[in-house]
Amino acid sequence: MIEALQFVYAPQIINGLSIGIAVILMALGLTIIFGLLDVINMSHGEFYAAGAFVGLTLLGLGIPFWLCVAIIPLLMFPIGMATERFLIQRVFNSKDRHILTLLLTFGIAIVLEDVYKIVWGANPLRIEVPIPGATEILGVFFPNYRIFLMGFGALIIFSVWALIYKTSLGSVIRASAYDRHMTASLGIRVTRIYAITFGLGVALAALSGLLLAPIYSVFPTMGRDFILLAFTVVIVGGLGSIKGAVVAGLALTQLQALSALYISPVWSDPLVFTVMVIVLMFKPSGLYGGLKNG
Amino acid sequence: MGGSKMDNAARRAIRITEITLLLSALALFIVGTISGDTFYLRLATEALIFGGLALSVDLLLGIVGLLSLGQALYFGFGAYLSAVVLKEVAPSLALSLLIVALASAALGYLASFIALRSKGVYFALITFGLAQIMAKAVYNTRELGASDGLIGVPVLQLWTPFGPLDTANPGVLFAITLFIIGALYAVLRYLLTTPMGQIWRGVQSNEHRLEFIGVDPRGPKRFAFVIAAIVAAVSGALYPVLRGFVSPELLYFAVSGNAVITVILGGVGTLIGPIVGAVLLTLFKSVVGTFTAHHHIIVGIIFVIVVINAPKGLVGFLVGRLNRKSEGAPHGHD
Repeated sequence: MIEALQFVYAPQIINGLSIGIAVILMALGLTIIFGLLDVINMSHGEFYAAGAFVGLTLLGLGIPFWLCVAIIPLLMFPIGMATERFLIQRVFNSKDRHILTLLLTFGIAIVLEDVYKIVWGANPLRIEVPIPGATEILGVFFPNYRIFLMGFGALIIFSVWALIYKTSLGSVIRASAYDRHMTASLGIRVTRIYAITFGLGVALAALSGLLLAPIYSVFPTMGRDFILLAFTVVIVGGLGSIKGAVVAGLALTQLQALSALYISPVWSDPLVFTVMVIVLMFKPSGLYGGLKNG
Repeated sequence: MGGSKMDNAARRAIRITEITLLLSALALFIVGTISGDTFYLRLATEALIFGGLALSVDLLLGIVGLLSLGQALYFGFGAYLSAVVLKEVAPSLALSLLIVALASAALGYLASFIALRSKGVYFALITFGLAQIMAKAVYNTRELGASDGLIGVPVLQLWTPFGPLDTANPGVLFAITLFIIGALYAVLRYLLTTPMGQIWRGVQSNEHRLEFIGVDPRGPKRFAFVIAAIVAAVSGALYPVLRGFVSPELLYFAVSGNAVITVILGGVGTLIGPIVGAVLLTLFKSVVGTFTAHHHIIVGIIFVIVVINAPKGLVGFLVGRLNRKSEGAPHGHD
């Protein structure tokens, strides 16, 4: 019994946790963008891939991995802001905002994916693991980089939470999500807040892409595998909810990890989607309220 | 007044497009059959099949205002079911189309209880999720050929008073496909003239006001959802007849996404636009595809431009041109 716990369940749980942190990083950007702008960002997976690809090029120029971790978000933040300002704003005020912005970001995704194919090729590329070796936990070996990733990821998640709930920028973002006209009439340039928030989401996606690149390979459609799960997490947790993204992210990845012990792992995706469909049927707004609900 | 003039222009634009398409199809059929062409006839058949899928997306998005990101579910369902019927039951196109139409109506009816609980983005995501579940399920089912799909769909013999026709003949298959997709189009066009069609348009412009005037939108929405499922599935049922096989890729998001792109480029809400879009996109991919594998970037950029600047696509552009021409002219009397 103890041995089953130690050698069967514990490794699954810890592996699930490392995937969970990665998915939450993706989901956070999505949920913040939706919470404020009401935009389903279909190109989030492609911005995630952008982090990995640009990182690959920077590494090729001899820039150390840890410096890239600092550079990539700074580089992608203005790109995200520009995307919001010059593309999304153009359909933002139309009646079908939900559908048009979804279609627009879908189009951006198609273009970006092909750009990656042209610039970096369609074949999977690898980034060397920055922290080699493995550590024994409870008699089972775990790669050091995965352990680091869990800690660092948790730190990023905490920082995002603190940014939204403990800073003045965060309160302006939440105020704009609550009532943008009221916030604007208080003298806040809401359109700038929109661009900043979108840039923030894109920077987060790119950072997760870079951080996860040493574990998974880098290829043009690399975002797709994660984006599906991230979308599911965001929907189950509640579009716009940070708490929801964290709770649903952990719960769903644990469900996947543990169910893989009993049913063939090929059914884990349908299982998670089924959970999503059931949640959407009975509680379309998800488990927790959006960005504006404190 | 302005509204009725607009409607006139729209109606004329749609009629012009319909006639142009039909004439080009007939020209292709005649020239293709005489010259013994295979490539273009089969390409056009494929365009029509995916045009049928786009038609179902347009019924939901352009007429009722529901964005489905998972219409490939019904398309793939129709394709697989038709392949199974043709292989295992009897090599009869009429039988397979009948079974597919009935089964997809049942499937669409069941799915509507899940999908129509939500609106807007949530509807988009739930249809997306449903299609993903189906795609993964088929991909992992050995009885359906798993990742390989089903191969060896037989060539069909169609009985006619003049002797049997063979679907291996590209001209014959093109004519059959043209007839079936044309029939689906005609049925949808007819439905739009009925009170049901009026209610659909009402749901799109303002569902709540519809309730205020005493119309329950739930039934009409469900009806549209089921019709869209049938249209997609019947189009899908033709796919194995053309290709001789089906594979799980037919259920993937790429297929649903392409259908949405087709609708937007062709002209959302016009019904004929999706067919035009499918023809142009298929042709474009085949022509540009011979020079470069990167045609997606061009399609993507055009798509983004159309979404931002011309939400009515190609047919909408034509409507605009006709409007400009008739500007200054005295108003009609309708």
